[in-house]
Amino acid sequence: MSAVPFFFDLLAYSAIFVLVGLGLGVIASMMGIFNFAHGEFVLLGAYTVYVFQLNGIPTWAGMVAAPFVVALIGLLLERIAIRRFYRAPIAAMLGTYAIALALREAVRALLGGRFYSVEAPLVGSFVFGEASVSQWRTAVILITALVMVLCWLLLTRTRFGLQMRASLENAALARSSGISVDRVYATTFAFGSGLAGLAGGLMVPMYSISADMGVPFLIKSFLAVMLGGMGSFEGSIAGAALVGATSAALPWVIKPVVADLLVFVIAIIIVKFRPEGLLSKWRR
Amino acid sequence: MSQVSNSGPLRRVLPVVEIALLVLALPLPWILDDFWVVFATKMIILALLAISFDLVWGYAGIMSFGQALFFGVAGYTAALLATKSEVTSIFILLPLSGLVGLVLAFVVAAIVIFGKRIPSVVFVALGTMTGSYAVERLARGWSWVGGQNGISSLPRLTAGTYEIEEGIVFFYMALAILVVIYLAVRFLVRSQFGLVLAGIRQQEGRLGFFGYQVQSYKGVVFSLAGLIAGVSGGLFAFHEGFVGPGQLGPVLSTQAVLYVLFGGVGTLIGAVLGVSVIEMISYALPQIDTLGSAVQEFLETGWPIVLGLLLLATVMFRPTGLIGLVVGDRERIGTFGRRMRGADAKREAP
Repeated sequence: MSAVPFFFDLLAYSAIFVLVGLGLGVIASMMGIFNFAHGEFVLLGAYTVYVFQLNGIPTWAGMVAAPFVVALIGLLLERIAIRRFYRAPIAAMLGTYAIALALREAVRALLGGRFYSVEAPLVGSFVFGEASVSQWRTAVILITALVMVLCWLLLTRTRFGLQMRASLENAALARSSGISVDRVYATTFAFGSGLAGLAGGLMVPMYSISADMGVPFLIKSFLAVMLGGMGSFEGSIAGAALVGATSAALPWVIKPVVADLLVFVIAIIIVKFRPEGLLSKWRR
Repeated sequence: MSQVSNSGPLRRVLPVVEIALLVLALPLPWILDDFWVVFATKMIILALLAISFDLVWGYAGIMSFGQALFFGVAGYTAALLATKSEVTSIFILLPLSGLVGLVLAFVVAAIVIFGKRIPSVVFVALGTMTGSYAVERLARGWSWVGGQNGISSLPRLTAGTYEIEEGIVFFYMALAILVVIYLAVRFLVRSQFGLVLAGIRQQEGRLGFFGYQVQSYKGVVFSLAGLIAGVSGGLFAFHEGFVGPGQLGPVLSTQAVLYVLFGGVGTLIGAVLGVSVIEMISYALPQIDTLGSAVQEFLETGWPIVLGLLLLATVMFRPTGLIGLVVGDRERIGTFGRRMRGADAKREAP
């Protein structure tokens, strides 16, 4: 196969990963909560699109709705359960794991344990000279780039972004400056969940939907966030892009099974020797 | 930790619970029919897995989301040995399972625990979970170890020429192993070694300042837990007559976490209790038919949802677990080393 579609596939795969990792990274670094239910938020996003298709509504509408639906669910969960877990990272891990279990099994019960596929809103491919690339994957890459830029603008150029960063930096001081840290946290959590939902919605045409689709994403994006370094926006993106690209590229070179194992081992060892993340030196 | 009341005589409830459970377990095979004996044996074997998690998390504060890795790899090793080179003697396979668990846990500890820096809890949790997930993927794709299907129809364990069938004999054997390991672990965590572990759990940095080699302590206890998980995995494989990739993965690993959290962290009997209650709930929920057919239909497929919600409720409202209902904080934390005569009185005097 020629090089262009290959790199294009890598790009598309990494793009999905960046969306998942970004949502997880925002929640982890802003609130110190490692959200084990993040993979299930991805699943819920995918499921929303599936429900739309099932009812005869075009899938693109489902993809637009998915982030909002999942953000709403995230907000609800934050209000009911997650907010009790701030400043208790272990309880947060276990609590979100429990939520993940309940969500995953609920979707499994609804799907009946089968695999379903969803059709992409854009079928066909663009042709550049000899190389042709799928239209839908192009759209995914463009949307991801757009979302990244919007996130960056939100964090650095808006009042809410300032409040978010202030709460991350020093929650007590932020609170005494009149910022409602509770509300900022709730919004942040909903925002991160929404990103997962968007990723889930965009990825359904590329994967088939099943109850367990979120689990591999969860573990890989955890690694991505730790690779990039907690508490940094660009770190999460870089880490996610790196993990996404490696795990998409390696199976072309060596056996897929070994490739997966290799990605994990390398990531863990890098994180061990560089716990602040790969970009930590570059940032200073 | 919530407030610990230090006044008043110490009521000892834990030994009562322990003895009650044992007394309850001993005559089971004479009361129940075969199906239930096999079910109870499975619970006993899983209790070993739960104890191994309780040892690392409840006593040393190492968040291991990968106990199933040791459980499963030991099971696979024993199963491969039994099918490929026809070794079925329990006296070889069981110690070997333990050894595999021990060595593998040491290797994992070398990656996630050892080192100059104190690794963050999150890193340890993710590292162990990743290991478990990666090896599950490996087992699923590796046809020599059976791929997706695992290895089924294992031969029975033998002691000399005697074949150990699942049923009464297997039950008592598993129970005996559980009691021995339980007592050994109980002795370990109540010794001076256990005191150091409790210190590490509460304030790892400070123990380091005292001059303890914190990482070595954690490595030792992690490897020992690996050994217990290994023994459990070996027994489980031969009891079920089957090993599969599911026995390696994060699902079973987190199941172990669930057992212990639900039963009560940091009390060994809590782990055993958690296994019994959760396994029984998992079995009983889909059978409930008194609430109408709609509820039953929901529970048939949806009982893990209920389980997840139960766990969430435990983490939110009762972090000490079931055992916390009957055992106070002071007893849960307990005393260490040999009890000195009149130690309690001396503390009260000045």
